[in-house]
Amino acid sequence: MRELRLGLVETATLCLVAAMVIGAAFFGSRLVLYNLTIIALFATVVISLNLLLGLAGQASFAQTAFMAIGGYGLAILSKTFQVNPWLAIAVAVLVSLVLALLIGRVLLRLRGHYLSMGTLALALGTFSFVNASTITNGGWGISGVPPLLIGSFSFRDPVAFLILAWALCGASLLVYRLLGTSHVGRAWRALSTRQDVSATLGIDVPRYKLIALMIASVMATLAGALYVSFTRFVGPDLYDIAQVINLMFMLFVGGLRSTVGPIVGAAFVILVPQFGAGLERYQNLVFFLLLLLVILLRPTGLFGRTRGTRARKNVLPPWTLRFRGGAR
Amino acid sequence: MMAAPASDATLTVSGITKTFGGLTAVSRASLTVAPGSVHGLIGPNGAGKSTVIGIISGFIRPFQGDVRFAGKSLGALGPAEIARLGLARTFQQATPIAGLTTLENVMVGMHVHYHASVGAVLLRLPAMRREARAHEATARRVLDEFELGADVDADAADLPFGKLRFLEMARAITMRPRILLLDEPAAGLNATETLRLEAIIRAQAALGTAILLVDHDVPFVFRLANEVTVMNFGSVIASGSPDDVYRNKAVREAYLGPARDAEATP
Repeated sequence: MRELRLGLVETATLCLVAAMVIGAAFFGSRLVLYNLTIIALFATVVISLNLLLGLAGQASFAQTAFMAIGGYGLAILSKTFQVNPWLAIAVAVLVSLVLALLIGRVLLRLRGHYLSMGTLALALGTFSFVNASTITNGGWGISGVPPLLIGSFSFRDPVAFLILAWALCGASLLVYRLLGTSHVGRAWRALSTRQDVSATLGIDVPRYKLIALMIASVMATLAGALYVSFTRFVGPDLYDIAQVINLMFMLFVGGLRSTVGPIVGAAFVILVPQFGAGLERYQNLVFFLLLLLVILLRPTGLFGRTRGTRARKNVLPPWTLRFRGGAR
Repeated sequence: MMAAPASDATLTVSGITKTFGGLTAVSRASLTVAPGSVHGLIGPNGAGKSTVIGIISGFIRPFQGDVRFAGKSLGALGPAEIARLGLARTFQQATPIAGLTTLENVMVGMHVHYHASVGAVLLRLPAMRREARAHEATARRVLDEFELGADVDADAADLPFGKLRFLEMARAITMRPRILLLDEPAAGLNATETLRLEAIIRAQAALGTAILLVDHDVPFVFRLANEVTVMNFGSVIASGSPDDVYRNKAVREAYLGPARDAEATP
């Protein structure tokens, strides 16, 4: 469990995040509330990816597909068919679970690149579908998604939504840790590096991969639905290839298998481009340079385990060693 | 060391044949391993010993023949299902799971003994916590017995060669197997380590485990085995008590050879 042990830095960062969210709930401007909510929802998807890729080693690019099911499920059911938004989200989660079960049966039998390619095809297919279909209103998307209500209380209130989003993020993080520190997480980590040996030890490898995929699909669906509920709009661009790549950036910048990594990674990818606003067309360039810098200096991510010298040796090309004064 | 495994575990391998391309790796090989006994399987390089282990543990499907254990045919089962029936194996090359500590490597070997569901894990139910605590304590105790107590928190892949071998044994034994397949467990160990390994294997057999021991170190196998099977070019050329096999002319000619008499004295 060494890898999942919360170090001082991670604990402090978690506390800082909590303090920022609570502070924002009282004093935050609209922009701060907006950014923190978006960060929470993307962090949730990245946590799901961390569970799937970080713990179980399954390189899935399909998380945007599950986000789309959450987003479009909510929009179509609640706007077009006037279903209660909460019920719409529940239906979307069920659809995602069924899809996870189906693709799990097929794709999880594939290994390495084949799994990645299969899930990538699913992500691209999802984008093409929502971009073309009439039920999703094609490239126009669906706006005016009805708000989530509890009685007469509406989550249109940005502070209430901030709390809702962070509650989802916190719950996902809790699930990640509770599973990660148990025999289930251990089985995932074992099969992520040695499938053959794991099988010899009696681990039902396909079943454990499927469990990971299903849990991750629920997280991504919920986050996808809340995102659309928050912005009241769903369109294909939310689920395009750039988003798939963004999620991977968030995970790797934060650090694979780290606890706060997904939150910090999501904040990095969402906020850094905003700080480069004055640079206009060089905005993206600055972002990618910073990204490259993180990956070169901390190949295991900002919160990845540096003690994993093994990982570093494999990740870091030899010439970069000179930048570090020849240190390991 | 461990609770005694159930004693109805007899491993019966009957007439298994496996060819890779045109090469016959194993041809109509049969052997039986009784609970509480050590069955030695020896033979020169390429005799088909590892293929036999691969077939028993479900990694390789035989063309012909059957493997039965406790009245069940293992023919159609995969490695994980066979492991859950109570079969543990070690590999010729130690197989630590990198990224997991030494302790976790042993605990992951106890996977089949964790019964808590995903729901119980998420709710941290008392039964789940009890189970996790008990299994961790067992893993620590076994590691202490294997003189790996100081390395519990080290990344298993960073352990030196000799310790890796013992970790491999510790992980297999903590599975509380009814059948234990050992693929060259003594390879590369020094004399002291080999003696320690011998004691571990004896203790495990005394608990009622059926042990199939494959090794190149003939005196080591002869010291431990109740029964020995000799293979050459994929076929069984002799089997019986170590004494019988030692005196068998075919074995001496095909495998031990006149020049190696002294070394092979049990």
